Amino acid sequence: MNKSLSILAVLILSVLSYLTYISAESVINSDWKEPLPLMSENQQYRLVLITQDVDTPFWNSVAKGASELAEQEGVMLENLGNYGKNEEAFLSNLELAIHSKVDGIIVQGLDKEKFKELTKIKAAFYGIPVITIAEDVPIEESLRRTYVGSNHFKAGKLIAEQLILDMGDSGEVAIMYDQEPQHYQSLRLNGIQAVFRKHPNISVIDVRTDTSKEKVMATTQNLLNNHPEIEGFVAINSEVTSGMIQEISRRKQIDPLFIYSFDDHADIEGLFQQGKLDAIVAQDPEMMGRLGVELLIEWLEGKSAPLDFDGYFTPITIVKVKDEL
Amino acid sequence: MNTIQKKIFSLTSVIVLIMMGIWIALSMYISQTHDQYNAILQRYLVLNEVNEESQDLIMDLNNYLYDPTASNLRAIDERELKIQNMENEIWDLGHSENEFELLNYIHLMDSLMETVERTISLSNQEESEAAIHEFNDATRIATYISDTKTALVETELETYDVVYRGIIARSTALNRFGIWLILLLTATLVIFSYLLSRSITRPIIQLTEAANTLSQGDFNKVVTVHSNDEFNFLARTFNRMRLNINNLIQEIQEQAELEKELKDNKILLQESQFRSLQSQINPHFLFNTLNTISKKAYLEGSEQTSDMLVNVADLLRYNLKSLDRSVTLLEEVTILERYIAIQKARYTERLIFLEDIDSTLLHVQLPALTLQPIIENAIIYSVEPREEGGKILFSVKDAEPYVRIDIEDDGPGMSEEKADKLLKGLLVPKEGHSTGIGFINVVKRMQLFYETDNLIHIESTLGKGTKITLYIPKQRSLKANA
Repeated sequence: MNKSLSILAVLILSVLSYLTYISAESVINSDWKEPLPLMSENQQYRLVLITQDVDTPFWNSVAKGASELAEQEGVMLENLGNYGKNEEAFLSNLELAIHSKVDGIIVQGLDKEKFKELTKIKAAFYGIPVITIAEDVPIEESLRRTYVGSNHFKAGKLIAEQLILDMGDSGEVAIMYDQEPQHYQSLRLNGIQAVFRKHPNISVIDVRTDTSKEKVMATTQNLLNNHPEIEGFVAINSEVTSGMIQEISRRKQIDPLFIYSFDDHADIEGLFQQGKLDAIVAQDPEMMGRLGVELLIEWLEGKSAPLDFDGYFTPITIVKVKDEL
Repeated sequence: MNTIQKKIFSLTSVIVLIMMGIWIALSMYISQTHDQYNAILQRYLVLNEVNEESQDLIMDLNNYLYDPTASNLRAIDERELKIQNMENEIWDLGHSENEFELLNYIHLMDSLMETVERTISLSNQEESEAAIHEFNDATRIATYISDTKTALVETELETYDVVYRGIIARSTALNRFGIWLILLLTATLVIFSYLLSRSITRPIIQLTEAANTLSQGDFNKVVTVHSNDEFNFLARTFNRMRLNINNLIQEIQEQAELEKELKDNKILLQESQFRSLQSQINPHFLFNTLNTISKKAYLEGSEQTSDMLVNVADLLRYNLKSLDRSVTLLEEVTILERYIAIQKARYTERLIFLEDIDSTLLHVQLPALTLQPIIENAIIYSVEPREEGGKILFSVKDAEPYVRIDIEDDGPGMSEEKADKLLKGLLVPKEGHSTGIGFINVVKRMQLFYETDNLIHIESTLGKGTKITLYIPKQRSLKANA
């Protein structure tokens, strides 16, 4: 009786001690670490990458390349972006970056008056170097230091050549682009036209459209009504591709048609996987990001001033469905 | 030695120490948490203050544009000075997580101030359109500052999310810890107080039990108390007292026994003396008379009668000597023979007395009148009641270290029970002893003389006879000699 009582007492004591110890440990232990304080003496370059369309495979790759190199070089790189091509937010990001006196700006070119004013006047006023990436705005209009990205003229040529290779050198080809083509669209268009000019049997139909999906579908519908024999389609602005293909597939078989586009929109990869696109121009977004950061650092350190105003082109390739499969 | 006071005192001081420890730890912990809260709050306050100041700066600028007075300008200057001072504070808030936004924040403030300066100088140069353009810029910058503040606060929230959750988790953990601690302390206290109280009460109970036992007269049980404090001392004292009482009682008992023995002796002696006194009535007259009769019988030619009378006179004389003297066996045997001679004269042929005596053993000492009463018994019980008479065998033999004396008759005998009673003195024999000394008197005197029991044995068979054996030690014990 007495013995079992004392055993019980010892048991209760040890259980309670254990529980107390456990709870004490959880009170004392906190795994949080104070973030490292700022070193004001050791200031890194503050660079920003400003894009219109974040979280798309293309721009994610750009950001990935850029931040990889930034980390490697020990500079601070912030990715400012917004969803769904919101121009106003994009421009205010740019203005914020300029007023924040960052050391360098890598920005997706936007062929708009406000953009040009910001880069030409504000950025120049603060002495902030601006590099355009993937999409260019001519230097005369934007005072950008240089451009990093694909050679869109060459990309246009590549696509046109592929089209002729696939379709033969006669037929009707629709080329679809924006109502007010951006600089890069004009370059692609020029590239395509430069090829088609050598093939007089190909009749080129220029189609201008708004980028909203309904508009694209309406435009495509019109196009198919007016030109039922049309065989080739080139979407210069990759954004319109999905609307265009959707409308075509309602009217015709997709397979015998020749449809081409560029890889810089989120819809493209899916369409290409499904085999609805015959070929696309594949760019190297990661390379663009890396190169952009690299050039900016070089410029800031004065290693390679002046930069090549014409731009630094990253490799482009044409990818056909067969290649993929 | 652990005293009870010490025990109680140490238990209390341990409790007080534990409570103090807990109190100190808790207050330290709480003040630490407070500091943490304050630091975090301070961050938000500073961030927000800068934002408010910049909004106010825009307001001041607006006022100045509409009303360009010196006081308004001074307000702007003061505001800018304030913001510049705050920039340093903002710097201190920086860490690796919010570096970019923080630098933006600081530079935006610089930009704001520069823009404000430009606006003022343009306004002073009367270029109102450009001034308004700059003012719009300043307003936008203020908006950016506000946005950046929001972003910074968000970053803070993200960075310190773990801390906030940690604080919440810690406070719940603290509550739980408190509950467990209280339970643990309670259990510990209960157990220790129980142990302490038991260490006090158990010895008391043991002592009480011991006292009970003592009061019931059991002085042999040792008082045991398992304790190392005052109770141990108490128990030992108690024990000593018990031993003392025990010793005293034993002494008293021994003394009582001694006294009883003494009393017995006295009674026995008195009885013998009384009897001898009774028979001492005018002994000289009796002796003289007996002697005269003897001489007269002799002169009248009755030699036999004369001898008998001499025997009777000798016997009487022997008998009248004090009983508490020792005699030799020779003396005893001589007086026995005289007695037999007298009895022979009485019983003639009916009494056959045979003796077998080893004469070398006759020097041993024994109490006077030991043999005669036994022989007399034999005659009374085995010869007298029977018409045909009886035979009595008397032998003295060596039985180292004793001298063995056998007195055997062929009378009716007695049961073993009766013999036992006889030895223990429970059976009072009928009167009729010539010397007035009974068998039991012999037994007791033997015991006192030799200070040993078992010297007399009765061997008897009903109808066959009785044999009484005496063992007389050749050497009396030293004590008896002394």
